[in-house]
Amino acid sequence: MAQILDILTSAAILYAVAAGLLIIFGVMKIINFAHGGFLTVGGYSALVVTQMGWSPWASFGFAFIVGFVCGSIIERLVVRPLYARPLDAILATWGLGIILGQLITLGFGREVQFVQSPVSGAVDLLGASYSLYRLLMIPAAIVLALALTAVLNGTKLGLQTRAVIMNENLARGLGINSGMVRFITFSLGAGLASLAGALITPLSSVDPNMGVPWLVSAFMLVLVSGASFLSLGIACVVLGGAQVLVSTYANPVLGGLTIVVLAALILRLRPQGFARD
Amino acid sequence: MTKAAASSALPGPARPERQRQMRWLVILSAAALVLIAIGPYVLPMFMVNSLIRGFLYAAVALTVDILWGYTGILTFGQSAFFGIGAYAAGLIFTHMGFSTEHAFLALGAGILVAMAIAAIVGWLSFYHGASPLYASVVSLVLPIVVAQLLYSGGQFTGSSSGLSGFESFDVSIEAWFWITGAFLVALTAAAWIFVRSDAGRVLVAIRENEARCEYLGINVSRIKILLLVACAAIAAIAGYAFAGVQMVVAPEYAGFVFGTELIIWVALGGRGTLLGPVIGTLIIDLGTAYLSGNLPFVWKLIIGFAFVIVIVALPQGLMPILTRPFRRTQAQMDASVPVLQAVAAEPFAGLSGGGQHALDIQDVRKRFGSLKVLEGIRFRARRGELLSLVGPNGAGKTTLMRCIADGGERSSGSILINDRDIGRRTPYECVAYGVGRKFQTANVFETLTVAEALRIARTRLQRPQFTGRAETLDVPPAVVKVMQATGLDQQMATEARYLSHGQKQALELAMVLALEPSVVLLDEPTAGLTKPERALIGQILTDLTAKEGLCILLVEHDLDFVREISSRVIVLHQGQIVLDGTVAEVVNSELVRTIYAGGGTMNSAGTH
Repeated sequence: MAQILDILTSAAILYAVAAGLLIIFGVMKIINFAHGGFLTVGGYSALVVTQMGWSPWASFGFAFIVGFVCGSIIERLVVRPLYARPLDAILATWGLGIILGQLITLGFGREVQFVQSPVSGAVDLLGASYSLYRLLMIPAAIVLALALTAVLNGTKLGLQTRAVIMNENLARGLGINSGMVRFITFSLGAGLASLAGALITPLSSVDPNMGVPWLVSAFMLVLVSGASFLSLGIACVVLGGAQVLVSTYANPVLGGLTIVVLAALILRLRPQGFARD
Repeated sequence: MTKAAASSALPGPARPERQRQMRWLVILSAAALVLIAIGPYVLPMFMVNSLIRGFLYAAVALTVDILWGYTGILTFGQSAFFGIGAYAAGLIFTHMGFSTEHAFLALGAGILVAMAIAAIVGWLSFYHGASPLYASVVSLVLPIVVAQLLYSGGQFTGSSSGLSGFESFDVSIEAWFWITGAFLVALTAAAWIFVRSDAGRVLVAIRENEARCEYLGINVSRIKILLLVACAAIAAIAGYAFAGVQMVVAPEYAGFVFGTELIIWVALGGRGTLLGPVIGTLIIDLGTAYLSGNLPFVWKLIIGFAFVIVIVALPQGLMPILTRPFRRTQAQMDASVPVLQAVAAEPFAGLSGGGQHALDIQDVRKRFGSLKVLEGIRFRARRGELLSLVGPNGAGKTTLMRCIADGGERSSGSILINDRDIGRRTPYECVAYGVGRKFQTANVFETLTVAEALRIARTRLQRPQFTGRAETLDVPPAVVKVMQATGLDQQMATEARYLSHGQKQALELAMVLALEPSVVLLDEPTAGLTKPERALIGQILTDLTAKEGLCILLVEHDLDFVREISSRVIVLHQGQIVLDGTVAEVVNSELVRTIYAGGGTMNSAGTH
């Protein structure tokens, strides 16, 4: 039982962490390597909320807003000139991640710090005791997925975004401001990354490099998912599940490598990954 | 091999320019070696120590520049090979003790393991149809895996603290400075010679246009794998020396973050310049050594800002700005052009295979999902035929050509070139069967000169030099004729991006003919050419079929041109052959007139 919960919560956490990267990759076809930096920004937003003595619940909204604002500034200044150079966009956003990490180090110091969790304690579930906060990650990921699907399918912006994903030139020809769509997408992706950073910090701690390992996992998950939130869900359950199983039955180090190695092999055998053709 | 009348843009031999370049190389290398020789006597000890490390990092950065700057493979993984070389020394010296034999054993083991892993990684990353992003992904996974394995090695690898305190070479710091400095100078000079050689130009051609390289018969994947293996060996040697001099190894040196730092140094110095990455690495590493004590985070922040600014605003890095005043003039470029020389009328290499039919298309179909683009195409073509494919847009003409040049394209059916079934072979293998394909839109190497592009096209038949450039460019007479007819022979030193549209078309045609194919696929070869040029090209094509015995498959929208040169015409409509006959038959056909007049759909059955 605990193992099933481990798999589900791991998948949920991975889903939350990767969603912001996926939306940027889906619309803009660029890999945002500042994603790790945005996760860190979210973690420290939660830290600020803790230090100010506000309710820990406020950290999620606060983190999203901080990430959104960072993202919108960065899109204007850095990402916009790189749409035609996707490999260079990876590098420039990696540089941005370094800048974010160093700014955080200068502001908060490089030591590991802890954030107050909005809920604490464990619950008994079918005889097994399980961390309540970790358990809450599952509904959180589901709500996130539903919200993103609703935005994409139920709003005018979502319609325009889907048009840009399918055929950007045609969308522009039809009068859709694709630059605006890209701007909002990048800001939203950054906001989601920051939110995810705030979500995961109560589970561990914050430090200026906390985002990097998550970035790599999220990156691999997005590559095997294509541009679909559904296939991202499948990828998170399959690869996250494999990670939990390998960590339990083999050893944690191999477990840590499961996602990257499996994803690389999947892409070699099936370049479209979990996405449909 | 007899040589026909030589024709050349500028008859002067290319020697003086090459001598001038070599002289510069010798002067610069000698100056660098002198600086390295006196370095330990004038520099403070701390700086000597830092520079030794910088020299070794720069050697790895050089491999990143070859892979990324020259060949276009964005790699995060060179750190892994550095780490493998370092750990080969650290592990063997720690667990087996230091001796001369063990020193050689560790060097050999480090290089071999690095090369073996590079071969596996290369096989995984580079295959026909792989996206460039995938190779970067694999290069990202590699250092993560290597570093994690080192972390988890317990006592054996020293885990996160690594290995230290092992016995190493009994060599003074000054001597290490000289050894590593000389290593870097030798490596840079060798790389400098290599990238300027004919073989080195192939790397740039791959970066500029990988697909065109494959359709010129170049096995791009194999070249990339071999290059990665060589670069891995160099990185492993640098790592081995690093462990030898520092007497400490740690997982970070094999990790992904070090891999990205290498990229940052190369990008700041200037990708594709060799000297830029070397100088960039030395300056940044020295800066790190001096400033990380006082301003650790600010220094890294400055590097981060500089990196982002360079990537966004100065993608070529800082080196080209510094060297701009010394850029070679057009006159110097002209002087380095090889002599274009026609190899007298031997049959094309592609024709030596024999075979009854040059081209045999058997029931070829192509579908995209439920959309049928080609349906049951079957025809045969002999040598000496100039066969035109006509039909309205969307009839499947270009798709058919694609199927002939790439065995992986068709959905079913088979295609024989000179009676040999191409099966599912890749484009470069189809070239070896005798296929030459010219694309619909001019498809050349934008930053290579006309002469370099032709040389690339000859790579399959004439092994390129690794240390320099051949002084002559031997091509079939037909290539010289195409060059002369379109004035390209006067522009041998011009980069392809400065050519007119028509000249690009002609250059691509010349490149395809330089492959000495037996079956030539020409998709609108004369679009953008003037009327006289078009007539000359038409004459060359008819000569090639009539005298050399080539089989040419031509797609053209200019029906007058088709009428003048074709020996046979096939009319495609909605993915099917509706008419196959002589020019006269097609011209007089009521059916063809209906199709071109847009006379609606018709049933092809029973119309001819």
